[in-house]
Amino acid sequence: MTNQNISLVKVRNTLLVTMPADPDDVTVTTLQEEVLGAMEEYRPKGLVLDISAVETLDSFFARTITETSRMVTMMGGQTVIAGMRPSVAITATQLGLTMVGTFTALTVDRALDLLTHPHPRRRIR
Amino acid sequence: MATRSKLSGTAALEDIEGVGPQAFLASIVECSDDAIYGKTLDGAILSWNRGAERIYGYSAAEMVGRPVSVLVPPNKPDEVPAILERVKRGERVSHFETTRVRKDGEVIDLSLNVSPIRDASGQIIGASTTARDITEQKKMREALAERAKEILDVSTPVLQVWEGVVVAPFIGTLDTQRAQQFMERLLDKIVQTNSAVALLDVTGVPAIDTRTAQHLIETITSVRLLGAQAILTGVRPAIAQTLAHLGINLADVVTRSSLAAGLRVALDILNLKIITQEDQAKGAHSL
Repeated sequence: MTNQNISLVKVRNTLLVTMPADPDDVTVTTLQEEVLGAMEEYRPKGLVLDISAVETLDSFFARTITETSRMVTMMGGQTVIAGMRPSVAITATQLGLTMVGTFTALTVDRALDLLTHPHPRRRIR
Repeated sequence: MATRSKLSGTAALEDIEGVGPQAFLASIVECSDDAIYGKTLDGAILSWNRGAERIYGYSAAEMVGRPVSVLVPPNKPDEVPAILERVKRGERVSHFETTRVRKDGEVIDLSLNVSPIRDASGQIIGASTTARDITEQKKMREALAERAKEILDVSTPVLQVWEGVVVAPFIGTLDTQRAQQFMERLLDKIVQTNSAVALLDVTGVPAIDTRTAQHLIETITSVRLLGAQAILTGVRPAIAQTLAHLGINLADVVTRSSLAAGLRVALDILNLKIITQEDQAKGAHSL
């Protein structure tokens, strides 16, 4: 079993979470727990989930992301998924894992911009 | 006096002066450009026409009596036995495309028709093969496929029209293969150019069916997942009508009737504005 580390950092009143390349189910579940714990501790205005290293996205991961995003919203924050790879985006679309309601950004940089200066037009439908 | 010959359709040949029906038919075989040869049910060559001499490079004297397997390339040892098995059962083998080896060693592409030869009592006594040289045809087919692939490569361009904006014009119809390639190209370009907006222009799409519409929706969704905004432009009345009839809901998608209108939306998203040089000279403040 490879050592799967989720990196969790507080940046500019935002939680920056970086996912490893091939997260297994345990890692994905840990993600949700750690995020909720950090939300409680820091009360950030948002969560940036960096998945730029992720090569495969299965339905469990997608579902957990959507759930976590909802939980963050309920706790008064906003979630942005950053850095999805083209191949992952295509597969996710074809599998119908569209994660409706979540914000997305091309890079972590953009995601932080989005959270600090929300532009009404930027709302991705 | 015209008498009905045993060979079907040759009654009229009786009338031709100096040529018996058999000889007439024989000369048709001889003059053919195709290779026509007869063989026993064991594959031994019985007859070999001029076309066969030309196509295979062996003379009739060289081939008669020899097994037809001398023509078969070493990687297909079971082909001739399989064909002969079918012929023995009374079957015909039609338009069978395969390769054979000429006397000079060159490998050629052929289309074979093999049929059973029957004697007067209807018993199968041999096989007759007509072989057409399709090397040229095959080359043309491959060239055509190459060209089709080139068109595919060329007709799905994704262009950066401004910093942060890419345009992907659809030309023609969208089949699954093109759609897949198009999606991959578009997403890669978005990442490469760090674009926030992608304009998908369908002005060049003459007809839109369910499958194309589905591909479009998928593309738009993928763009969103990546973190950019997709705008569908060039939606003409005909397409809007078809989509409405298909019950496809584009309520979640930003659409515009022209590429220019889409560009305006893109600039707005990027917080950009185009002003005349006059305005700029007058010192107009940007918002």
